[in-house]
Amino acid sequence: MTTGAQAATAAPQARSAASIDPLYRQIRDLVYKVSGIYKTEEKLYLLAGGCERRMKQTGSKTPREYWDHLTLHPSRDGELRQLLNEITIGETCLFRSQPQLDALRKVILPEMAADKTRQILKKLRIWSAGCSTGEEAYTLAMNMLEESAGILKGWTVEVLGTDLNDRSIETANAGIYGDYALRCTSEHYKRKYFLPAEQNKLEVRPEVKKLVSFSRLNFQDDSRMLFMKSMDLIFCCNVLIYFDRASKSKVVDHFFTNLNYGGYFFLGTSESLLNLNDKFHLVHFPGAIAYWKPPLKVGKP
Amino acid sequence: METAPESWQAMTPSLAPSISARIRERVSQIETLPTIPTIFLPLLNLLNLPLDQVKVDDVVKLVSYDNTIAAQCLRMASSPLFGLAKAPESIKAAVISLGLRRVQTILLTCSVGRGFAVKEWKINPTVFWKHSLGCAMVCRRLSDKLASADGEKAYMAGLLHDIGILVNCMVFPKEFAAAMEHASREQITLEEAELRSMGFCHCDTGAALAQTWHIADDMIQAIAHHHRPEHSPAAQPLVALVHLSDLLCRVRNLGYGYYERQRVDMVHDPAWEILANEYRALHHMDLVRFTFELDEAIDEISGLVETIFGGASVAV
Ligand SMILES: C[S@@+](CC[C@H](N)C(=O)[O-])C[C@H]1O[C@@H](n2cnc3c(N)ncnc32)[C@H](O)[C@@H]1O
Ligand SMILES: [Fe+2]
Ligand SMILES: [Fe+2]
Repeated sequence: MTTGAQAATAAPQARSAASIDPLYRQIRDLVYKVSGIYKTEEKLYLLAGGCERRMKQTGSKTPREYWDHLTLHPSRDGELRQLLNEITIGETCLFRSQPQLDALRKVILPEMAADKTRQILKKLRIWSAGCSTGEEAYTLAMNMLEESAGILKGWTVEVLGTDLNDRSIETANAGIYGDYALRCTSEHYKRKYFLPAEQNKLEVRPEVKKLVSFSRLNFQDDSRMLFMKSMDLIFCCNVLIYFDRASKSKVVDHFFTNLNYGGYFFLGTSESLLNLNDKFHLVHFPGAIAYWKPPLKVGKP
Repeated sequence: METAPESWQAMTPSLAPSISARIRERVSQIETLPTIPTIFLPLLNLLNLPLDQVKVDDVVKLVSYDNTIAAQCLRMASSPLFGLAKAPESIKAAVISLGLRRVQTILLTCSVGRGFAVKEWKINPTVFWKHSLGCAMVCRRLSDKLASADGEKAYMAGLLHDIGILVNCMVFPKEFAAAMEHASREQITLEEAELRSMGFCHCDTGAALAQTWHIADDMIQAIAHHHRPEHSPAAQPLVALVHLSDLLCRVRNLGYGYYERQRVDMVHDPAWEILANEYRALHHMDLVRFTFELDEAIDEISGLVETIFGGASVAV
């Protein structure tokens, strides 16, 4: 199965989980309640590490003191944001979630390719929302190119990447990545879709870049959000975690409107919508969770 | 036993009479195999009795026939999944801290592997037991979440739901191997592949076997209808609970060892409605978090399968 690699690395961390201060589980629950990010027992050490770095910065001597800082201190909201930064930083890379890509290619694409209304236009629009430096957008484009001779033969694919941060958009446009960003990319993809660049880095080939366009967009900008129409797939990973319930709910409503009927909305692999929207159907694929906008006529599956 | 009870015909209305006769005939041969489970069936029957009629000493005595099972039971009782921080020193001590019902289900778990003399596994045994134990754990957690009284029964139903797969390995090895191969090649569900190529599935053979055990009827319904709880003539909430737990396991790396191309919409599955009508608490459940919590249990489930079914998995 696809998650074999994860299973292999989980064991030593699981052992250390017992030695972790129980207060970190309390912090884990708080982080989940506020952001929707769930750090499983095996990833708890990552959360603990993030907390410890923040404890140094804030001068908290014990997890208990830091807990008080997160819950009672006047700057608790800001501190929680800092902690979220700490635990999501450097996570991004190309091909980060293979189960999501499998769901896309093995289940969703065959379903969309067979869909009568989509067959008229033969067009697929994918949005990497909060794309940061572009890794996810390019990953999606490459996976679509892999299907261009098969199930997507004759289809047009468009990938849009948007982010609030101008500098990230610049980096995304350049499409040059080093070892760390490419740590999950197989040789097959490296050879087929990249060219050598300076300092041992690799640059995404023009035929991939051709499918992708990046622009700056703030999710809080309602009028511009309305323009993001007719999406088939939206990926929004580790972005909504910073939003409070009300603004998160508003952004998710936008996403629902932005999607075509039968389209899918993906969050990060350890992220939850916290039951914020009941128009979406929560659906499971092997190893991946997504939110589905059901077709207008609700038929039996 | 020559014939299965009448009611089995009624339980599987979709099967042609010739097929169900064939299943019954083959399943009846299982009993004539020399490896009848020694403590499995007596234990299973004890589980049927009301608690006040079960004596701790009866259970302890049953277990004392088999040192390995006793040791495995203690190991399991000390797993975080069963709620004891420290390993109990004896079966009796385990009963005191975990309760008789819980210890009974632990014992059943430890003996079920030995109860089946599968000579030719047509599915990876570790994969099979991880799925079964995983499903059992999810069933119990889910019934805890729903504040249902009978978590242990749910656990047993989850553990045994796919027992028909073992029956298939034992009495239809060729046909089942082909179905399994077909399923993993086409990445379709196992029951679909079985129905396509054999005309019946593990639900039918599992139910036929369970009928001969004289266990509680709701357990038999769970085995017979776990893929279509809405077709179950009785005990629909339990069957629905097993159905959803099975689905959840299959999408969280505790399936049958191959990629099933499927989109699972649990909340809009008929089983969800059945369960929600019985337990209001389901409306407030955070299914995503429940999913993540299952991920956390996978390592422990694998470890338990290693200890408990490690020996039993090797074909003799
Ligand atoms: C933790 S990063 C995640 C980036 C990437 N999706 C990933 O999974 O690695 C969060 C990103 O969200 C972007 N972001 C934060 N607030 C935003 C907003 N209001 N509108 C659009 N993007 C925003 C940030 O610029 C940053 O690139
Ligand atoms: Fe099954
Ligand atoms: Fe199953």
